Amino acid sequence: MELVQPSWVYSIMKLIVKLVVALLLVLAHTGSFALSASGKSDHVTATLLAESTQATPGMAFTAAVRLSMAPHWHTYWQNPGDSGLATTIGWTLPEGFKAGPIQWPAPRRLALGTPPNQLVNFGYEGEVLLLTEITPPASFTGAAMLQAKVEWLECKDVCIPGAASLGLALPNASAAAAAIQAAKAALPQAWAGGAQGKADEANALLALLPDAKAAAVIGPAARIDFFPLEEGKIESNAPQKLERFEQGLMLTLARAKQPVGEFTRLQGLVVAATAQGQPIWSALVNAPLQTQALPPLGKLVSSTVQRDGTGLGAAMPPVGGAPLGLFAALGLALLGGLILNLMPCVFPVLSLKVLSFAQLGGGARARSHGLVFAAGIVLSFLALAGVLVALRAGGSEIGWGFQLQSPAVIAALAALFFVLALNLAGVFEFAFGAVDANAQPASLRSAFGNGVLAVVAASPCTAPFMGAALGYAITQSIGEALAVFAALGVGMALPYVLLAWFPGWAARLPRPGAWMVRFKQFLAFPLFATVVWLVWVLGVQVGVDGAAWLLLALTVLGIAAWAWGISQTSALKKSAWRASSAIALGVALWLGFLAQAISEAPVGAALGASATESAVWQAYTATRAEELVATGKPVFIDFTAAWCVSCQVNKKAVLGTRAIEAAFAAKNVTLMRADWTRRDPEIARALHALGRSGVPVYVLYRPNQAPLLLPELLTSGIVLDALKTLN
Amino acid sequence: MPKLAFFVAALFVPAFSFAVTVGQSAPDFALIGTDGKPAKLSDFKGKHVVLEWVNPGCPYVRKHYDSNNMQALQKDAAGKEVVWLAVNSTNPTHADFLKPADMASWMSKSGGAPKATLMDQDGKVGKLYSAKTTPQMYIVDPKGQLVYNGAIDDKRSANPEDVKTSKNFVRLALAETLAGKAVTTAATTPYGCSVKY
Repeated sequence: MELVQPSWVYSIMKLIVKLVVALLLVLAHTGSFALSASGKSDHVTATLLAESTQATPGMAFTAAVRLSMAPHWHTYWQNPGDSGLATTIGWTLPEGFKAGPIQWPAPRRLALGTPPNQLVNFGYEGEVLLLTEITPPASFTGAAMLQAKVEWLECKDVCIPGAASLGLALPNASAAAAAIQAAKAALPQAWAGGAQGKADEANALLALLPDAKAAAVIGPAARIDFFPLEEGKIESNAPQKLERFEQGLMLTLARAKQPVGEFTRLQGLVVAATAQGQPIWSALVNAPLQTQALPPLGKLVSSTVQRDGTGLGAAMPPVGGAPLGLFAALGLALLGGLILNLMPCVFPVLSLKVLSFAQLGGGARARSHGLVFAAGIVLSFLALAGVLVALRAGGSEIGWGFQLQSPAVIAALAALFFVLALNLAGVFEFAFGAVDANAQPASLRSAFGNGVLAVVAASPCTAPFMGAALGYAITQSIGEALAVFAALGVGMALPYVLLAWFPGWAARLPRPGAWMVRFKQFLAFPLFATVVWLVWVLGVQVGVDGAAWLLLALTVLGIAAWAWGISQTSALKKSAWRASSAIALGVALWLGFLAQAISEAPVGAALGASATESAVWQAYTATRAEELVATGKPVFIDFTAAWCVSCQVNKKAVLGTRAIEAAFAAKNVTLMRADWTRRDPEIARALHALGRSGVPVYVLYRPNQAPLLLPELLTSGIVLDALKTLN
Repeated sequence: MPKLAFFVAALFVPAFSFAVTVGQSAPDFALIGTDGKPAKLSDFKGKHVVLEWVNPGCPYVRKHYDSNNMQALQKDAAGKEVVWLAVNSTNPTHADFLKPADMASWMSKSGGAPKATLMDQDGKVGKLYSAKTTPQMYIVDPKGQLVYNGAIDDKRSANPEDVKTSKNFVRLALAETLAGKAVTTAATTPYGCSVKY
């Protein structure tokens, strides 16, 4: 009756080895020596890029230094603001080459601390391309080495100077034409409309009369900020007042408390940005300070003091609610673990466990079994948590459920569940020779193995209450993260330990008997259903071809199991049946490899079937969501994945229903679906920003209100209530 | 609750409302030194006073200490009867924060010679002076007027090598004001790390 199977223990070992190899690869990659065209510091990678693979004598071309910054780290614009330092590029070029100045893209305001103690810097987060025009001499022969010494200051709440010496040979094999042209197109333009400045004791006023083109961008933009090119003129950390008039704009800028140099003009960038400060469009203004009256701008339409958010470049407004403490997280994890037992992916495996208790009856044997089973669960959770924490430390943007984002793992799980189901259905027995399960006393090793299996099976089901606890775990120290995962395991194992400890309870279980064989056979069907679901997940990940190969592999695996089963029951020609079973197993493995080869081929976005299957749901992109939120539109985001069962339940039972879709439509809510079936750093970042590390997550962004996080298990009532809070 | 209390306090403390500007009188303040002794700006009326915003965790501060630039300036000033006050406005919750004893031992180990190293843990004096970076330098003349506010020099880098070739604004301003002359470059943009309020 017990399910001790060297084969699946082996599968899990393989899985763990795979994860460890992946971890090592990540570590090796981050620790490896950079190529000459790129160099890195702790939080910034600098790469030298050229517009084309070769240069023409006498013809200017654009080179770029790309700075890729770790999340929440920033580097600075030419005027860094209250503190910081502009990035510098020192060129070493062959004889006769000329390098122009850095062409700076529009920066964003980076606020440190909270008002009134706020300092504001001007710079970049994420990635920036600093462009330079390079002109080879007419005598240029076509081959040359461009060298750039790049120095920057990278800051989060602390600042670290960084530097890299980069080299790029011309001609070179790879050009970054598209990226550089996009960066060129986004460079600040010259302000084509009218601009006039005027200063009083405390403030400088900038009146802007945009031309038609500028007006079209400025009109809908959530923010219009002025970034002074000259230092010591404008107080960087003072909120800028924006007044929109019928014919133009007025910015009120606080004068520097300690002015430096003569203040004769307002020279700087006018940047139209999203509510989160992401630049959309920019233009260079040079407005002399004049004593005469500012030009008439017509009737006042609106007036806002444009304050800065707190913290560094928070991409989305923060979600309300107090952060969890360690004890609350431990409590929630314990509860979440308990509930995990009822999830459809765990239930069949655990029913078997309960059966085995019924078999053991009670006493010391049952107790030690219960404890070993619990140890299997807790240690597996700790192992998963360890890999997760290590991968995150290595820089991977992943969260809970990451193990299911790999098609290879999905295929392996499908095979595992399929073989288990065949075993339960009675096609074959795992025990070599011994057929009567009831005659074989269960070993402790099998109890441990069952614990491991339960965790493997449970990973697709992020139960309610687990989201918040795991989200908390991910952001804490390793010790605390492990404690939360251990609590999850303890919660999951608790019922069985209690069952083993109190024989009175176990006695209430039905007596062992012939019915158990039939029940065992029946339990094969939930497992088959699980296999169907896993094949569907693989199909979403890699397409119908990969799924077909997997099904073929499962079919041949079935032949192997059948042949093996015959060899176990028939007295004659045992060896022939075993040989055919081995051959079939070989073929199944080979087909499995094929399926995996397909699954590891690059996939297009088109495969995200669950994201595109509905007309009213758009695929999530951070930029689009930010834009919508910035323009004051309500947005509902469904963070989901094909391998997440509770996500699918919510989708079918609540979100996908006509009534709910109509309710969303009535409130003009834009519906976005963030499909995390495969790894996606953008979605991982968004989840992290919401304090979560796994799906499902449902969030409603409301204009002029804090965003609303909905529970992991939705009902129509919950969604409708959330919609009622919209103004 | 502490946040609210701080906010209410901020309404009454004229932190950012009065600008400290060259040519105006430097606001008085009282702080406790790392040696436990109190120090008050008005105690030094009649003398030149240099205020140096310092944070040993900041690479720009280290640039001027590792190159012995700051210590040389401090000793020079002491020889000319100038009072040098180093102020640390780092918030105790920040990783850069040093306890008074640690701050004192860092200062003595680096061979610094300020008259006093003052602890401004709540950042009140830093905000009173609108100090934004470490280092940021102020010079107060014997009448209590601010005569210099800004950077230590004109080479904005964290490289100690640059000290040799840079124009030291504080040295120049001190020489001028000690000679009874007006300071030529009285205001510059400070550079460095943000003050960790």
